[in-house]
Amino acid sequence: MGSFVRPGRDLPENTNMSITLDQVTKRYQGVPVVNDVSLDIGDGEFFVLLGPSGSGKSTLLRAIAGLSGVDHGRISLHGRDVTHVSARHRGVGLVFQNYALFRHMTVAENIEFALRVRRVKAAERRQRRQELLRLVALEGMDNRLPAQLSGGQQQRVAVARALAHKPEVLLLDEPFGALDAKIREELRRTIRQVQRELGITTVLVTHDQEEAFAMADRIGVMNLGRLLEVDQPHELYTRPATRFVATFLGAANLLLAHQTRDGIRFGKTSVKAPAAPHGSREHEVVAVVRPEEVEVGNHREALKSNFLAHGAVEEILFTGALERMRIRMDGGGDVAPLANSNGSGAALLEVTRTLHEQRAFQVAPGQQVAVGVRRIHVLPTPLSSFTACAQADEQAETLSHHPLLVELATRMKTRISARVEPKFGVPGAACEAAAAFAGTTVIASEPQVSRHAEWLLERGADEVLILPPNAVAPQRVLIHWADEGVRGATLAVSASILRHVAAEAMYVGILPERTPDTQRPLGVRALLDARSEAQAVHGLEMRTELRFGDVASELARQLAESTGQMLILGVCAINGLAERFGTLLDDARWPVLIVHREPEGATA
Amino acid sequence: MATVRQASVLPGFGLTFGFTTFFLCTIVLIPLAALVLKTGGMQWHDFVHVVLSPRAIGSYRLSFGASFLAATINLVFGFIIAWTLVRYDFPGRRLIDALIDMPFALPTAVSGIALTTVFADNGWIGQYLEPFGIKVAYTWIGVTLALTLISMPFAVRSVQPALLEVQRDLEDAAETLGAGRFYVFRRIILPTVLPALLTGFTLAFARAVGEYGSVIFIAGNLPMKTEITPLLIVIRLEEYDYKGAAALGFVMLLISFVVLLTINLLQAWGRRRLVRVGR
Repeated sequence: MGSFVRPGRDLPENTNMSITLDQVTKRYQGVPVVNDVSLDIGDGEFFVLLGPSGSGKSTLLRAIAGLSGVDHGRISLHGRDVTHVSARHRGVGLVFQNYALFRHMTVAENIEFALRVRRVKAAERRQRRQELLRLVALEGMDNRLPAQLSGGQQQRVAVARALAHKPEVLLLDEPFGALDAKIREELRRTIRQVQRELGITTVLVTHDQEEAFAMADRIGVMNLGRLLEVDQPHELYTRPATRFVATFLGAANLLLAHQTRDGIRFGKTSVKAPAAPHGSREHEVVAVVRPEEVEVGNHREALKSNFLAHGAVEEILFTGALERMRIRMDGGGDVAPLANSNGSGAALLEVTRTLHEQRAFQVAPGQQVAVGVRRIHVLPTPLSSFTACAQADEQAETLSHHPLLVELATRMKTRISARVEPKFGVPGAACEAAAAFAGTTVIASEPQVSRHAEWLLERGADEVLILPPNAVAPQRVLIHWADEGVRGATLAVSASILRHVAAEAMYVGILPERTPDTQRPLGVRALLDARSEAQAVHGLEMRTELRFGDVASELARQLAESTGQMLILGVCAINGLAERFGTLLDDARWPVLIVHREPEGATA
Repeated sequence: MATVRQASVLPGFGLTFGFTTFFLCTIVLIPLAALVLKTGGMQWHDFVHVVLSPRAIGSYRLSFGASFLAATINLVFGFIIAWTLVRYDFPGRRLIDALIDMPFALPTAVSGIALTTVFADNGWIGQYLEPFGIKVAYTWIGVTLALTLISMPFAVRSVQPALLEVQRDLEDAAETLGAGRFYVFRRIILPTVLPALLTGFTLAFARAVGEYGSVIFIAGNLPMKTEITPLLIVIRLEEYDYKGAAALGFVMLLISFVVLLTINLLQAWGRRRLVRVGR
C-alpha cells in the first residue's frame, strides 16, 4: 500500500524546490477553504492543481501569488520565506481566467507594464517586448488595443505580460476557461512550449481533468480545501488512493468488495487479485473498476478475464471511437456499483468498449450478458460503508437517515444499510444476523452507549461511530489513540474522514499527570512522530497538542470547549472500554468514531 | 462602442423617432427658441447694456465660478464616496447609499433654509467658524456649499457604476507586476473611470448652474457680491423687464452650451481610446 502523497518522487535528487507550502491554511468566516496544505514543487516543474469549483485551488494559487494572506502555515519561493511578502515583491507572474488586460493600454503598454513600474529604459523595454511577442506568436500586434484582439490572443498577451519581469514562478488561474475548444488546445500547446523554453516553474489551476492530463508533470487533486493526492498523471489514474480522486479523474465504478486471504470477493464471486497484505483478516474494501477495464461476453465461458456477474444492458451510447453502455447487475446489492462518476445513484455499471471489442461481440439494449473485469484497483482507504445498528427496526431506520450520516455517506460515495440486533447490548448474547460486521457500524448516542460499543467491538466490528441525534458536520476533529498498536489504523481512518469534511485535524497526545520532567520530552517526540507519520503515510496534515492528566477527562474537557467537534478514538483493548471512556462516550453531545484493531502483528 | 440596432419591444424606428422629436421640440427646443426670439427683438445696444452691466458680470462670475468649484469638489469627494460604497461592506452601507439621493428628493428651498440655519453666525456649525473669521452664510462660500450639496448625487451616481466595472483582477494583476497602490490608482483605476468622472462633473455643473431655490436663502443676495444670475433674471422679471431677463437667460444658455460641448468633446476623445472594433 503506497503512501497517498508522494512529493517530488519523480524528480531527480537534490532538485531545488521552487515552491514550498507548509501547512498552509486559509479561512473564510471560520471555515477553512484551504486546509493544511503542504506541497513541494520542483524547479522547472509544470504542476497542475485540479479540483471541482469551491475546492480551494484558486484561493491557494492567490495565496502563492501573495494576493490573499494565509491564516496559518508558510510559503517559500526558491528557499525564500515569502509568507509575509506582498504580491508586489514576490516575483511571480499571474494569468487570470478573464485575461485582466488593461483595456486602455495597447498590447505594447500592457506587456511593458511591469518594466515601466521598474523604470526600465525604453530601448530595453522594447527589446524585451519583441522577445515576448515572438514567444507567444503575436509579432506585430504591438499597437492593438485588447478590445481589437480575439480571446485567445488576449490571453497570449496576458501570458507575455506576466512573463515580462522574468518572474521565478508562473501562476495560471483557469487560463482557458473563457475560450472555445479549438483555441484552448492551441493555447495549451503554446503555454507548454513557452514553459519548456523558459524552464519556468508553473502552477496551473483547473477543474478540467483532460487539461490536467495534457499539461502536467504532476497533478495535485484538491477537494474541500484539502490536497488529497499528488502524483504523475498516469499514477493517479491507475492507482488512486481515495474515492474522490478515483471518480474525479476519469470515469470509474466504485464497488464494495471483500479483501480475503487469496483475493477479492464480490458477493459470492471470488476474483483473483493481489492478496491482502500480511494476512490480515477478511475485511470490506472499496474497489475501483474503470469502464474500459470491463469485459462483456455472451456467457461466462466466453470471457477472457475474471468473471464478475451477469447483467442486463440498460442503455448504449455511441460516441464515435468508443461505445459507452450501462449494465444493470444481477444479484442485487452484492455487485452493484456504489457509484459511478456520472453521479447517478442508479448503481449501473459503466462500460466503454473500443471499436475492436464492438466488432467481436455486438450488444443490443436489454440483452443479458456476462461481465468480467480485467483490472481491479483496491482503494487503501477504510470506512468502506456504514451500517446503522439498533435494537428495533424503526430505530435503525431513523438512524440510517441521520443528516450527518447521510452527508458523510454521500460525500464518501458509499451506502448506508440498516441492521437490527434485538439483543443489542445484552452481555453474552450472540449476534442475530449471521453476517459479520463490515465497514463502519453506526449507533445512536444514549446513556449506556459505551457498553453498546464494547458489545459491538467484541463481536467483530472494526469501527463504531456514535452519533448524537443533532450532530452536524464537525469543524474540528480530535484524534487520539489509547494504545500505540492502533496508531496506523486511527490515522488512516482520520485521514479518510478528513478528506470528506472541511474540518481541521488535531492530534491530542496525553501523558499522565505525574509524568516526571525527564519523560516529558518523549511525549513531544511522540507527537512529532505522529504528525510526520500522518503526513507521510496518509497525506493528513494535523495540528498537535500535548496534555497532562487523565485521558478521558482531558478529551471531554477539550470537546466541551466548543460545539462542532468530533472525536476519533483508537483502542486495542476492548475489555474495560466502558470503564475507561464511559464519561466521554455515554450520552455524548459530540460524534465519536471508535477505531479498534488487534495490536499490529498480534494476528500474524 | 459598436452600434447595435436590435428589434425591441417598442414600435419601429419611425414612430419612436417621431416621439423623440416631438418631445424634444415641445419641452426643450420651442421654449429655448422663444427665449432666443425674445432676445432677438432687442436692440444690440440694449442687449450689450443689459448683459455686460457690472451687476450681470458679477452674477456670471458667481454663478459659473461657484458651480465650477462645486462640481470640482464633488468630483473629488463624489469619487471617494462612490469608492467607499462600492469597495467596502460595512454596517449601514445601504442606508448611506440611499441617503445619497436625498438632495434629489428634497425641495431645494428646504435644503437652502436648513443650510442657512446651520451655517449662520449663530448656527450649529457657523458659531464655531465665526471666531476664525470664516463666514459661510451670506457669502460666496455659502453659495458654493449649497451648490455642492444639491449637485452631489450626480457625481456619485455617475462614478458608482464605472467603479463597479473596475475588476479586482485588474488591480491584482497590476500588483503582481510590481505596481504600488498609488501607481495602480493613477495608471489603472483613474483612466478606467475618467469618462464617468467627466460625466459626473458635467451633470453636477449643469445642475449647479441652473440652481435657484436653495441658493437664494443662503446667499444673502447682495448685488455684485452674492447674487447669482438666475436670481438676477427673477429680479428683472419682477421689474417687468422681460427682454432684459431673456437676454440674461440667453447668455447663460450660451455659456452653458459652450462648457457642456467642450466636456462632451473631451469625453468623446477619451472614449475613442477604448472603442471596441469588430469583436
